Amino acid sequence: MMNLQITRSIDRKAWLTALHAKGAADSRLSDQMDEAERLLKEAARPKAVYRLVGIDAILNKSKSIAKHLEGCDKAALMAVTLGAGVDQLLRKTQVTDMAMAVIVDSGASILIEQLAEDFEEVIEAGPFTTPRFSPGYGDWPITEQTRIVRMLDAQRQIGLNVTKDSLLIPRKSITAVIGISDHPVKGSLATCEQCILKDKCELRKEGKYCGDKL
Amino acid sequence: MAINFREKVYILDGAMGTMLQRSGMSADETSTHFGQNNPHILKDIHKQYIDAGADIIYAATFGINRYKMDELDVTLEEAVKVAMKAAGEARAEAAEDGRDVKVALGLGPIGELLEPMGTLSFEDAYETFAQVIRAAVKAGDADLVVIETMTDLYEVKAAVLAVKENSDLPVMVSMTFEQNERTFTGVSLEAMAVTLEGLGVDAMGINCSLGPVEILPMAQKLRRLTSLPVFAKPNAGLPDPATGAYDITCDQFVAKMGEYIDVGINMLGGCCGTDPEYIKGLTAVRDGSAEASCKGQFGEEPCASDEPNAIAARSLKVCSGNKTVNVDHVTVIGERINPTGKKRLKQALLDEDYDYILSQAIEQIDAGAEVLDVNVGVPSLDDVKMLPKVVKKLQAITDLPLQIDSSNPAAIEAALRVYNGKAIVNSVNGEEKVMDAILPIVKKYGAAVVGLTLDENGIPATAEGRFALAERILDKAIEYGIPKEDVIIDCLTLTVSAQQKEAAETLKAVKMVKEKLGIKTALGVSNISFGLPARILVNRTFLTLAMENGLDLPIINPNDEDMMASIFAYNVLKNVDENAVKYIDRYAEAEIGTVQNSGPKGSASPAGGESALCESGTHDIFYCIEKGIKGDTVAAVEALLKENDEMAVVNEYLIPALDRVGKGFEKGTIFLPQMLQAAGAAQAGFEIIKDRLAAGDKEVVSLGEVVIATVKGDIHDIGKNIVKVIMENYGYKMIDLGRDVPKEDIVKVVKERDIKLVGLSALMTTTLKSMEETIEAIKEVAPDCRVMVGGAVLTADYAAEIGADHYCKDAMKSVEAAQEVFNG
Repeated sequence: MMNLQITRSIDRKAWLTALHAKGAADSRLSDQMDEAERLLKEAARPKAVYRLVGIDAILNKSKSIAKHLEGCDKAALMAVTLGAGVDQLLRKTQVTDMAMAVIVDSGASILIEQLAEDFEEVIEAGPFTTPRFSPGYGDWPITEQTRIVRMLDAQRQIGLNVTKDSLLIPRKSITAVIGISDHPVKGSLATCEQCILKDKCELRKEGKYCGDKL
Repeated sequence: MAINFREKVYILDGAMGTMLQRSGMSADETSTHFGQNNPHILKDIHKQYIDAGADIIYAATFGINRYKMDELDVTLEEAVKVAMKAAGEARAEAAEDGRDVKVALGLGPIGELLEPMGTLSFEDAYETFAQVIRAAVKAGDADLVVIETMTDLYEVKAAVLAVKENSDLPVMVSMTFEQNERTFTGVSLEAMAVTLEGLGVDAMGINCSLGPVEILPMAQKLRRLTSLPVFAKPNAGLPDPATGAYDITCDQFVAKMGEYIDVGINMLGGCCGTDPEYIKGLTAVRDGSAEASCKGQFGEEPCASDEPNAIAARSLKVCSGNKTVNVDHVTVIGERINPTGKKRLKQALLDEDYDYILSQAIEQIDAGAEVLDVNVGVPSLDDVKMLPKVVKKLQAITDLPLQIDSSNPAAIEAALRVYNGKAIVNSVNGEEKVMDAILPIVKKYGAAVVGLTLDENGIPATAEGRFALAERILDKAIEYGIPKEDVIIDCLTLTVSAQQKEAAETLKAVKMVKEKLGIKTALGVSNISFGLPARILVNRTFLTLAMENGLDLPIINPNDEDMMASIFAYNVLKNVDENAVKYIDRYAEAEIGTVQNSGPKGSASPAGGESALCESGTHDIFYCIEKGIKGDTVAAVEALLKENDEMAVVNEYLIPALDRVGKGFEKGTIFLPQMLQAAGAAQAGFEIIKDRLAAGDKEVVSLGEVVIATVKGDIHDIGKNIVKVIMENYGYKMIDLGRDVPKEDIVKVVKERDIKLVGLSALMTTTLKSMEETIEAIKEVAPDCRVMVGGAVLTADYAAEIGADHYCKDAMKSVEAAQEVFNG
């Protein structure tokens, strides 16, 4: 178990895109984003845990995960969470100020992505690794959340829980697997074509990809 | 079956999971499953711990509950029996050697989180534990129950009540803390101690997560926070993040644990990573310790502590799951959630308009209340149902402890039961019948209680008469086992314009209670000035006098800054607020006159500082709403109401202003946060209208009732809540059923209220199935009812395919759908 430090501020460009604000903030929105970031930093207690496993422990009938881990002999399971305080912040702001709630919610989503990225650097996995792959990508079922959380003992380690419907609580959390190999591997993330959101995605309209680093 | 937990140093057992792994359990098998299939291994491990010296062993029932049935091949009852039997047999064999070993039924976290974090209800959690406890009682091998590795105090409360109501077994509770001395859900040592003492557990402690080095200072703190025995079961140090190996040796562990005995912790064991060697070490330390022979004192007077008065003097503390309020200063109880004389709140309670009720709470919190009084006394309302409901809603959004305000014992019990923490009950009085009905409930749930100095003969005119009643109430409370410090006396404020002499009697009575009984006092203050002009002058003068006479808990409207100012000033004069730090912080920029505070610091005001931009000082409502400026929208609505009736303001100004914003949103010139700001401003305007209508006993005209919910299996609700806010602004009455809502619940409301439009939200592909089933169920009972759907993964085509009538890509589309349904 590790406590994570928030070292980067929340990426404003990604945040504005998430708010459908077409990449530009007026001074008021920009003030509110600053305030949302302050509230998030106050409420978050980010934590992460990882464990190295053989890939047999991960593979199941999913083709996507098999393809992603091709050429790997080991994998790192990981879980990252912002903690329960952010959930409470979200509940409260939804009562007091819905506009702020939307800003905080999307900011929290970006923040947890950034922390997951930072945590990947911390994991001492080996010379060659694939990008992160999470349950729900491609045909790797979201029900795998339960197994990952169990294998990581994440409930005890970082306070991360899974509902019977495979949703993570605290809400702003990520579980993922990273393939590890002794030779260069690229992994295989889902493409836009396979994505269910392909017709609605704001990023895609801008010619970008959600798998890009923040 | 009683166990005297204070009489000696007990040795507890060590890790079960660690031992099972060594016995061949594979990495992805659970301890429960492996143990069930290998009861002889369980028994062998128990025996090893007994041989190492354990006095109390935990049966391997930690992970058995109805939410983890996939880990079992047998029924729950059978599984509990198997685990209990393994421990029971080990105990029996030890008895042959003359050892007196106790077997504990172990209860761990359910694995599903309780509301508000998760979706499990308190009642469901209770029943989940009760099932296991009943099975253990039937199996007959349990000497006690241990609830351990808990992080949520609310879940602990469900478990403790389940133990007490389904068995006669003693119960120990340990929670798991991080290095910041909080659990993952934010519970502090203090909140744990205050709540669990109230619930009447037999011992409390700390287990798992950290090693003996990190836990020692916390255990020491807990030792000072409670007079119950304290126990500790640390892990074998801190794990290496990559390998999981623990960082200290068995010898280091044992050496450190010796210090626990020195500070009065009298039950010691180990958690993850420990084994019988560790326990053997602990036994040797215990046997070699002089302190360990100090009998009959643990918890009552830690015999080896450096500080003779190690247990802090007991004083009134109340708490929520995450926040403890120590009443060692003037503590404001916010009185606003009480419908007496408040038509708008009364209407909100009848309509179950929780957002309004919660906004009343948040206002008081922001104003500086430390406890919130909750009263739902509307004659036609079933308070046994409503009071716990409001308590649940409040504790989802605030940490403030609550004061349950009712005279109905059933409503008080229902609310205390679902309350997370230690509440105050308001109130009992000197009447025997009332005390006999309410005090046992106060005791059972470990609350504090306000006693009013009146009885069947009314309010005594003199201070002495009221003091006598205070004494009677205190004696009775103590008789029922309620600690003295948990009794608060309200000497009653009477209207000075009617009974002028008695104001002084009230003050004198406060002083007598404070000085002679040494307990806390409360007073509702504002009643004093009824019928007089400039009431605030009388109110705040009386408040100041009362504080000087010993008032601890004024029950006031904290939004009334004059009253708050008196308290802040009082704290400066009495040297409570050192260097006047709090006073200066609050009033540095205040202007004299009607007092206002300097406003919240360091936060961008949601209303922005743009007021001046409104055209030439007039409040153009269209501009104000579009820019989302709440204060000016309110002013604009008030101005319009001088010349227009309420509904005209709504139909000719508010709705058209929102329409304009909606069009901008469609065109992409206004973004979602801006639209929601506009909605927030419009809502502030609607509140004025609703207040006016309620004051005139007129109801708000609703354009139609719409049920809205996030479907079963999904807990994403922000999208649903956005739709709710926008549609409410357009005049629809929204019946919000929440998230993870079973189709049966939706169908029930649709039938009962003859609903014509239902809005369903689902964010994930996996829950679209659930959406489809819900639509089918609605159409079956109400073919005319239209269904609109929304959510990230939906498309118009898919919405049609699953039988929805309207696909709403955003909140404005749902308004259009409603207009189509209700206006044709």
